[in-house]
Amino acid sequence: MIRKDQHLYLALLLPAIIVLLLFIAAPIINSFFLSFHRIIIGLPQLKTPFVALDNYLQLLKDPIARHSFFITIIFVALTTFFELLIGLFLALLIHHRFPGRGALRACVLIPWAIPTVVSAQMWRYLFNDAYGVINYMIFGANTNSYIPWLALPTTALSSIIVADIWKTSSFAALLILAGLQVIPEELYQAAKVDGAIVWQRFRHITWPLIRPALLIALLFRTIDAFRVFDLAFVMTQGGPADATNVLQLYGYKKMFVEGWMGYGSAVSVCIFIIVLVIAVAYVKMVGRRLLEANV
Amino acid sequence: MKTIKIMTIFLGIVVLSCTNVKSTWAEKPTNIVFLTWKPNQPEVWDTVIENFHQKNPDIHIKVQVGPHSSTQYHAIVAQRLKNMDKSVDVFFMDVIWPPEFANAGWALDLSSKFSVEEQNKFLSGPITANTYQGKIYGVPCYLGAGLFYYREDLLKKYHFKPPTLWKEMLKQGEVILKGENEQGLHIYSGQFKQYEGLVCNMMEFIWSNGGAVIEQKTGKVLLNDPTVVKSLEFVRDKIIARAAPRGVINYEEPESLDLFIQGKTIFHRNWPYAWAVANDQKKSKIAGKVGVGIIPAFQGHNSASTLGGWQFGINNYSMHAQKAWRFVQFMTSHETQKILALDAGLAPTRRSVYQDPEVQEKRPHLNAFLPAFKNTRPRPLSPVYPMISQELQRFFSHAITESGSDISEMAAASSARIEKFFALGAMIPK
Repeated sequence: MIRKDQHLYLALLLPAIIVLLLFIAAPIINSFFLSFHRIIIGLPQLKTPFVALDNYLQLLKDPIARHSFFITIIFVALTTFFELLIGLFLALLIHHRFPGRGALRACVLIPWAIPTVVSAQMWRYLFNDAYGVINYMIFGANTNSYIPWLALPTTALSSIIVADIWKTSSFAALLILAGLQVIPEELYQAAKVDGAIVWQRFRHITWPLIRPALLIALLFRTIDAFRVFDLAFVMTQGGPADATNVLQLYGYKKMFVEGWMGYGSAVSVCIFIIVLVIAVAYVKMVGRRLLEANV
Repeated sequence: MKTIKIMTIFLGIVVLSCTNVKSTWAEKPTNIVFLTWKPNQPEVWDTVIENFHQKNPDIHIKVQVGPHSSTQYHAIVAQRLKNMDKSVDVFFMDVIWPPEFANAGWALDLSSKFSVEEQNKFLSGPITANTYQGKIYGVPCYLGAGLFYYREDLLKKYHFKPPTLWKEMLKQGEVILKGENEQGLHIYSGQFKQYEGLVCNMMEFIWSNGGAVIEQKTGKVLLNDPTVVKSLEFVRDKIIARAAPRGVINYEEPESLDLFIQGKTIFHRNWPYAWAVANDQKKSKIAGKVGVGIIPAFQGHNSASTLGGWQFGINNYSMHAQKAWRFVQFMTSHETQKILALDAGLAPTRRSVYQDPEVQEKRPHLNAFLPAFKNTRPRPLSPVYPMISQELQRFFSHAITESGSDISEMAAASSARIEKFFALGAMIPK
């Protein structure tokens, strides 16, 4: 009887496994495969020779890739930090009971629900040097002091960071809110009886109990931030002077614009490995924290 | 049992609908798929294609629209052609692609269809750009060239002639700025974002200083040549954040043109399409006040315009090459080019259209474009042009963005990378 059951389980699992293999495993394996070859689609006469680790060795020596890696790290660090901070703040805010809370919760999610390409386009207008609202809000009618945000290397990167924080803070808030909601109300009531003030209640009840949720939000945000592509693609195309040429965009340009499939795949595989390492490290940490929380 | 029943019914419907499609298929005209991007005046293109349908009832043109940006459109066309996708018959090609498409075997060799005699009826610039190793791979549809637009009313007011030198442009600009004393008014705007348009703009500065990026014959990279470095320094020190607002570093054509048609710049560099926009009463504050001519030059050197424009190519793997060719022939005929010139404002590639009395009467500015069209020079002709262009964009953007940067040091690094690309091209077995 049990054997029969197992067959049924397997049969029911099969569609999911096939879909996963087809749409997740196959492309990843193919990327690995491509990255060991020299494939230049504009020069098919060169065929597609196997070059072992040549693409990776070149990548290590590539100053442009190093620069891209560096700015991607800056992007990841700043966006994740601020997104978690703002997300925590938003979550605490919409966790409280007040009239119109449902509507507000829905509103908080709007930035996250807008497709990135659309919001990137919107931010591009907001940051425009001649008619952008941001310049108008800061300098009013004094057009001579308007800052060309997207034309200066440092402000261009900051602009993309701001756009990302605006967009995904609400996602972090959602995850943290889920963590907040599992905290039993009785703990707060007991603390109030003991005379704990707001800060003490936050420090000793909320904070330790939402740490697992925070870590999960951190995991998702870091991984997502590492793969940033669309914001830079729409807002700056990687410019000026490569200031926003994030790693993923660099890989895209190599692969689809220059037609250098092997090299571009090597970039993608590197991003994949970096993200995988981060994910494993976090999951181990989160797992331990979860256990600690249960004790 | 119920599931099986439903499945059978469903299958039955699928099979029936398939046979249905098949039976009507035979009577339908051949579908020719034309891969293009969304033009500025789609209604004019629709009319032209409708004209073709009326004259060729055995062919139906299916238009597939790609992204407007040349680089992104290239990514899509290249992907489909590389996969020997037979579902594309005719595609639009930017002027820089024929060598790549020819070398990769994506574009059909049109030499047997497009005779030399016929080729001579077109302007020579785009014909050269469509020729690779002695064979022709595309038929030019319309021409692009860097044009120099200016505010005729302001120049007249201060008794200036259109500048022929960059220095002269700056001087005139200073005087006009002082006289007008208008907040937000600038001397110049162009395209300086890190993208293909940056290459086009910078080439014109380099050529008009007697320089070149690559020596076409030997393939030598000349980025570190003093003529190149000097012209880049001029752009960095005199144009960006001086004559032009610093924002141009993130401007493509539409944003820079906006500045001009809002009356915020005196001089402007753009392609021929800008003429119609700048003179459109509804969009432009300077309609009727615009002059156009050739790009200025540096002292002692000649003006040059970057060659642009689009061509028709035929997929090497198309099943209907003969019918596709009929479409291309129609689209590049005198009649069609005339309609495109009159109604869409596109610059014809056929010499005869410029002599057409109706075109001369209704589009007199086309003759004003001719001097610039005769001054056109192509960007480097190479099958690895996309790689070269990415590197040039990076180099130019660095050079003009960072004030006080060491341009020749960057030039050395970029040259080395471009030479590596050429080395790849040289590995092709002959």
